[in-house]
Amino acid sequence: MSKITIPLGPQHPALKEPVNFTLVLEGEQISGSAVNLGYNHRGIEKAAEDRTFLQDIYLIERVCGICSHSHTTCYITCVEELAKAEVPERAKAIRTLVGELERVHSHLLWLGIAGYEMGFETLFMYTWRDREQVLDCLELVSGNRVHYGINTIGGVRRDITPGQKAEILKRVAILEERTKYYVKLGTEEATVLARTRNVGLLPHDVALERGAVGPTARASAVKRDVRKDEPYLIYDKLDFNLITHNTNDVFGRLVVRVLELVESYKIIRQVLDYLPEGPIAVKVPAKIAPGEAVNRYEAPRGEDFHYLKSNGTDKPERVKVRAPTMANYPSVSYMLDGGYLADVPMVIAAIDPCMSCTDRAMVYDNKAGKVRVYGWDELRKYGIEHYKKRGVDFTKL
Amino acid sequence: MSEFEKEEKIKEKLAAEFGAAITELTIQRKNRVWFEIPADRLPELMKFMKTGLGYDHLATITGFDGGEHLGAYYHLTDTHGIISARAKTPRANPNLPTVTGVFPGAEPYERELEDLFGIKINGLKPGRRYPLPDDFPAGQHPLRKDWKLTDAYPEEAASKKEAA
Repeated sequence: MSKITIPLGPQHPALKEPVNFTLVLEGEQISGSAVNLGYNHRGIEKAAEDRTFLQDIYLIERVCGICSHSHTTCYITCVEELAKAEVPERAKAIRTLVGELERVHSHLLWLGIAGYEMGFETLFMYTWRDREQVLDCLELVSGNRVHYGINTIGGVRRDITPGQKAEILKRVAILEERTKYYVKLGTEEATVLARTRNVGLLPHDVALERGAVGPTARASAVKRDVRKDEPYLIYDKLDFNLITHNTNDVFGRLVVRVLELVESYKIIRQVLDYLPEGPIAVKVPAKIAPGEAVNRYEAPRGEDFHYLKSNGTDKPERVKVRAPTMANYPSVSYMLDGGYLADVPMVIAAIDPCMSCTDRAMVYDNKAGKVRVYGWDELRKYGIEHYKKRGVDFTKL
Repeated sequence: MSEFEKEEKIKEKLAAEFGAAITELTIQRKNRVWFEIPADRLPELMKFMKTGLGYDHLATITGFDGGEHLGAYYHLTDTHGIISARAKTPRANPNLPTVTGVFPGAEPYERELEDLFGIKINGLKPGRRYPLPDDFPAGQHPLRKDWKLTDAYPEEAASKKEAA
């Protein structure tokens, strides 16, 4: 049979994310594939060098719209390590709490996407409805649904009140009940089994060879989880299981994520029980001592890696972000080879890809053939004018 | 033995294998080791780290601009600790050997070095540029310290003047 090469993406190959795949097809079967990334490069690492350590928190939070807390926590542990700041225990506990709420939110979101990709849209509707519970918890704690802005150098910005604690526990109980249903559904439902079993296979040794991380690796029985391997924040005081699975396929990745939800609920309860009294932040000088630091963080998608170099001023010399999706890409080509075209979106979605994290660009508007770059001041002015027309005046604030 | 038993052992093993090639080795804290190695020995080092030391996961490669020298850090982990190996290359003719022979997953990180720092990676198989757009001006490398936004987008300077 003759071979046909087709492009898939960059518009929405799976999830609403820009990435392009070049697939070589023999009939319905894939015999070769290549991943093209870079549609979302925003130059965040360069921008970070022009801002202060504190401003960078808010920039780095915007590396990703889902694991925003993962990136800031990873970055901030580097800053605090260089500044030799002793972060109060209560602040660490609150960071852990937000981190786990974020994981719940991310995994539920993924489960919905997985349902959508396999043609099981009721699952998508259910999980996204339930996800509102955890988003409400996050809004309660931080005031925001996705960019929490809870971290600051030396601690956190908001405390947890007993009222919030009770409210979170109430919602976690609802989610726990719902997750039982997802576990049952994920392991017994005929549609789910038919669409996920033996699809997108990634054998254990290939996962290791290609450096897969997070649930993608753990579904191939790779026992890797930064929370266990090199505990940060208060994870060494918490009791939870490292979830792995040995089916190496999309089904395994689903099972790992659903069971991780259960572990996250356990962690959230423990953290709320533990929550020591005390301050939530210490003061850290604006200028950070010169030096270099590297730290990792177990984001919902896997190991997040940050490198930071300070030159003794209030601005970093170099910031490097390696998001988990980047580490999982080499594995995707392997998973696709030999599979069927119809399974491609399912396989891609199964690593829970996040392009914004991976690509991190210059904003320019290509209006009437003329390239126009908006500066920060212009964007701000544009925003203010835009809202003024709609009757909201920010200049008075 | 000191409190950094594991790290000291790594130091010994590295010294036994590479001798004087390894310089400026520092044990920053538990699970953190940094050192420098000549660029031409990188593939050999990667191989030893992977098979001899069990540091079988290349977390990422961080490029840097150190003025006269450009270079990169190779961050390796055994899941518990992180060893960062630094390699320098002269700014006048920056090049580093590829490590994709040992870590196939390093390809996108090496393309980043080529695109953002202009470090030629010897032995890297041909492919699309990453992560900059296809129409980005050739010979410009944004993460170098002397690069300004106006180098690639001159209209930015004009729009700033207009705004002022």
